[in-house]
Amino acid sequence: MAANAVETVDRTALDALREGVAGVLVEQSGSTAIHAFIDGKRALDRELWQQAAVLGWLAVGIPERHGGLGLGARGLAILHGELGRQATPGPYIATLAAAETIAACGDEAGQQRYLPRIAGGEISAAVPADLSRATASGALRCLGAPDAALLVAQTAEGWALFELASAEVSEVPIWDRTRTVIEVKLGTAKPAATLDRRAGDTLLRAMTLAIAADSAGAARSITERTIAYMKTREQFGQPIAGFQALKHRAADLVTKLAVMDELVAHAVERIEAGEPDADLWAMLAKAESTEAFAFIATDCTQLHGGVGFTWDFDPHIFLKRARLNEALATPNPALRDRAAAIMAEMARAERTALELAL
Amino acid sequence: MIIEKQHDLPAFRQAVRDWLADVVPPDWRARMAKASDDEFIAFQRWWMGERNKVGLGIPHWPKEYGGAGLDLKHQIIVAEEMARTDAPQARMFIISLIHMPGTLFPHGTEAQKRRWLAGVAQGDVWCQGFSEPNSGSDLASLRTRAVRDGDHYVVNGQKIWSSYSMYARYCLLLTRTDPEAPKHRGITYFIMDMQSPGVEVRPIRQANGRSEFGELFLSDVRVPAENMIGRENDGWRVAQATLASERGVIAFEGAERQRYEVEGFYRNAVESDAAWLADDQLRREFMGYVAELQAGRRLLRTLLRENASHNAPPSVLPSMVKLSGTSLRQRLCSFMVRIASIDGQRHGAITEDPFGSPMFEFLSSFSGTIAGGTNEIQRNIIAERGLGMPRV
Repeated sequence: MAANAVETVDRTALDALREGVAGVLVEQSGSTAIHAFIDGKRALDRELWQQAAVLGWLAVGIPERHGGLGLGARGLAILHGELGRQATPGPYIATLAAAETIAACGDEAGQQRYLPRIAGGEISAAVPADLSRATASGALRCLGAPDAALLVAQTAEGWALFELASAEVSEVPIWDRTRTVIEVKLGTAKPAATLDRRAGDTLLRAMTLAIAADSAGAARSITERTIAYMKTREQFGQPIAGFQALKHRAADLVTKLAVMDELVAHAVERIEAGEPDADLWAMLAKAESTEAFAFIATDCTQLHGGVGFTWDFDPHIFLKRARLNEALATPNPALRDRAAAIMAEMARAERTALELAL
Repeated sequence: MIIEKQHDLPAFRQAVRDWLADVVPPDWRARMAKASDDEFIAFQRWWMGERNKVGLGIPHWPKEYGGAGLDLKHQIIVAEEMARTDAPQARMFIISLIHMPGTLFPHGTEAQKRRWLAGVAQGDVWCQGFSEPNSGSDLASLRTRAVRDGDHYVVNGQKIWSSYSMYARYCLLLTRTDPEAPKHRGITYFIMDMQSPGVEVRPIRQANGRSEFGELFLSDVRVPAENMIGRENDGWRVAQATLASERGVIAFEGAERQRYEVEGFYRNAVESDAAWLADDQLRREFMGYVAELQAGRRLLRTLLRENASHNAPPSVLPSMVKLSGTSLRQRLCSFMVRIASIDGQRHGAITEDPFGSPMFEFLSSFSGTIAGGTNEIQRNIIAERGLGMPRV
């Protein structure tokens, strides 16, 4: 009974989170707002970040004792999914993944110093864009805002937290204008706290799940936008949505979306339950979802026809977000290799990586 | 013994598992690989008999018609344990167990239900006479004619893709009774006794060498009017119940079986240090199938939950499940053919080892992508009913 009661409370909180985030973003991060932002006419990223802090979005994954909501992987997947849906700009993936890593692998002093400030929206954080190349003494390419205050990175001594206030940081222009990549001269960053040896795995799990959820939400959104467009665009005297060749592609896209959603949900469940195959499923969810998102965004661009090639329509925004998502955290071939290694190890130990609850 | 434990799920599961460990012959696959038609039928009947003995013949039917009234959770447990043990499938009885009751429960009269449902537990095999040589995807264009003659209808025509019709006692038959009406409104649904004079069945030899489907030739077959399900010319509506009756139940067990197949295959590969594991591209491709397999199993659970929820709006999830699941099966089997290289071209039927005859599995996978409404028809359904894209 106790477990059920907790679950019900959680579900209510999660449903409220989803509705709250979706409501705000539909209103404020719609297509017009995003286009204004990427054209430099509006600081949508900052406006929304302040609101996110007030509304508690930045506290979703942070434990309650540090001023967070403690909604864990389930809450974070919902948040990132909704942010993806609206292609919302801002350093959410980097900041929230860093916060999870600090919460799980930082010392008590570091947690107390930084987590409440992250939850309150006071500071954002950066993380290595590609963790498989994380060890570098020189310039480190990171996902995060140019004014990020913190960096989670690996040095020869292990994983650590750095303050960036007086570090040499430059923005690297990227095609996806809804996120930012920076280059940090690691030698100029100030070591602030050590992280334990699980930090690399924790950060990878947090990033892969966040990216997978973002991809699933974003892919659904551009598919819905594309199908709506196909119902209004007329050629040969009828809406192009009536042509079977195009209908079949749309059906394939939404079927892929259903598969993506289940994969993200599976990774969330395994992480929440602390299962030994949790990392395997987070890695596969990221690899599969980002590639499906790239495929879907490509097809949606094509299904738009000529306007799909213009700056003024939405497909290119999602297409660029998809290609960045694919490249983040760790390249997908390497993620599949690691997942295969975990599964092989489990097979040798006569354990299964494919358990599912009723 | 098993059914009595239905209120304690772990005990129920354990009882099913114990029974299966006891009853399933370890060499059944090897035996069936070489079996003649008669041996196959005898084995199928034996298996249904064993299931009936412990109340697992028709456990999902309501108690008043001889079932155990088990709910979804029990069905899932039974399917999971059958898959785990690699127990035989009741392939020959699929129409008897699912489509016939799925039609009679909503549309049959009480007398019809009493008359036909009981026989399934005794081993009656049913088949489905829907498709015709010229009416496949366009099923409603069917032309097999039924003409009223006193208290009978006289049926003439041809049916095709009728699973296990060679062994069937009864047939769920769609006929044209009003050729003048619009095509959906001139169809009547009958139950036909396969032993009636004028019924001829010829097995169809499939691309995989097997003959599971038959072709029916109907010449002046007299079907009693009391065998009509629903009203005259209202058969299309009744047929929707038949077509909708499966909704993932068979696919669920199939996906659970595939889980053990894939897992066993990978374990063997790891233990024997198979060459393909060292090939980056193949290994990564395989992990993609593992991911899709798991997502598909979850999607089926979502579908079964939707079936069990009485206020769920009709959805196109069954079509998405079929489209994604059968496509995965085909790509997975195709992968198995590729990695087996020349060894995989050796002719053979099913074996003990998972994907031991990859060409057989690959060829068989087309029955998934084509039967039960081709995947192209599923795409139409998803686009039109699910996404509201216009029919032209």
